[in-house]
Amino acid sequence: MKAIKNFVFQCGAKLSLSPEFILNKGGRFFLVSNNLRGYIQKDFYYAGTYLGKAKKGKFFPSFNLLTILAKGDANKIVVDKKAAWLFICGRDIFRRGILTVRGSRRKGDHTLVMNEFGECLGFGKIVCRLDGEAKKMEVAVENVSDVGDFLRREA
Amino acid sequence: MSGKEFFVNRYEQIGWEFEDAKPRQAIRINVTNAKGKNLEERLQASGVQLDKVPFLETGYWVRSAQVSAGATAEYLLGLYSIQEAAAQIPATLFTALKDRTVLDACAAPGGKTVQLAYLMGNTGVLVALDVKKQRLGALSNHLERCHVSNAVVYNLDARQASRLKLKFDKILLDAPCSGNFAAGRFWFERRTLEDVERNAGLQREILAEAAACLSDEGEIVYSTCSLEPEENEVNMDWAIKHLSLQIEEIDCHGQKGLTEVFGSQLDGSVARCRRIWPAETQGFFVCKLKKVGEKQ
Repeated sequence: MKAIKNFVFQCGAKLSLSPEFILNKGGRFFLVSNNLRGYIQKDFYYAGTYLGKAKKGKFFPSFNLLTILAKGDANKIVVDKKAAWLFICGRDIFRRGILTVRGSRRKGDHTLVMNEFGECLGFGKIVCRLDGEAKKMEVAVENVSDVGDFLRREA
Repeated sequence: MSGKEFFVNRYEQIGWEFEDAKPRQAIRINVTNAKGKNLEERLQASGVQLDKVPFLETGYWVRSAQVSAGATAEYLLGLYSIQEAAAQIPATLFTALKDRTVLDACAAPGGKTVQLAYLMGNTGVLVALDVKKQRLGALSNHLERCHVSNAVVYNLDARQASRLKLKFDKILLDAPCSGNFAAGRFWFERRTLEDVERNAGLQREILAEAAACLSDEGEIVYSTCSLEPEENEVNMDWAIKHLSLQIEEIDCHGQKGLTEVFGSQLDGSVARCRRIWPAETQGFFVCKLKKVGEKQ
């Protein structure tokens, strides 16, 4: 739970999670509804909404969690079509590919990466100030995790 | 008893003249996720051209694609799934899935599980089983990618489903089967009649367990991608004679089930099943069963 809360905080978001609806299965966290909870036995493999996993003190959020955060007031950048495609191919984001910034512009913070349709493609770490002074060809957001991971996981 | 000639001869005996088939790639739109997103337009802009599958509400053939349909942003965001057209039929045959307790007995890799979750509107409870642990990763990825929130997955053999001590209103039994030549390379070289008979036995065991976990008035949709009558019509005939089940009428693509197989007469209600010979789709078989009062 603490790992999830820390991550949510790093993204500049707020999320109220009731511990009774969070299941921890070997470091993997799941959000389950009251109804579903009654059907889950201890040897389950997956349940409800997967939130992410904690490993060696580090939290790896799921894309479900990122999508939930994207609906609220999290740090976000909206990127153009080319930057969106490169991002889901695992690449970083140049300043010139960023269309708008919402929330933190501070170096070191996490930010969600959104496409022009308002869909969350993953998240990254701000590596230079996201203001007008940044050079257009400079890497502004380092890719930490993107939806292309669904393909890479099964390769 | 194997080889192309052997199997083709069997198909002729049950009324189908063999012709080679190459099933078309198909997708299924995940309506909840894709709502209001102009998916067809977006895919077209990415170089993926679609044709509507006439017998499916949310299914499309991929007419041409400049990029892999399984690698677009829209796919990765869960707006659609790659799912063979005939395989999209079984989940649509249940009545009233919302708020129900549903079992997907042989779930991995999860195409039909995700489809069931959408048809359930992410309500109720969807229990998904698979016997092979190494296949649960793909199933979980599929559930995560498509934002399914009402599923519980267990690494469990469908023949042991009653261990969960649950009664299900609906059970999807997409049974492990021998497959068919249109879906598998070298199928004729690899398959024997003994494989078919072994799979038919396994399917009956799973059917019996599914029937034991089914609530009163509950429904089972049974499907295979096998063309072999032993795994299809003959098993349905066995099920209605041994498991307090009856075959329901269904309105879907496909030909009537066979009622005479290699000289044996089956129950007339087996004609209510649907058999799809390979052409634009792979070969497929589907049947809807309903629980009736216990036989004395």
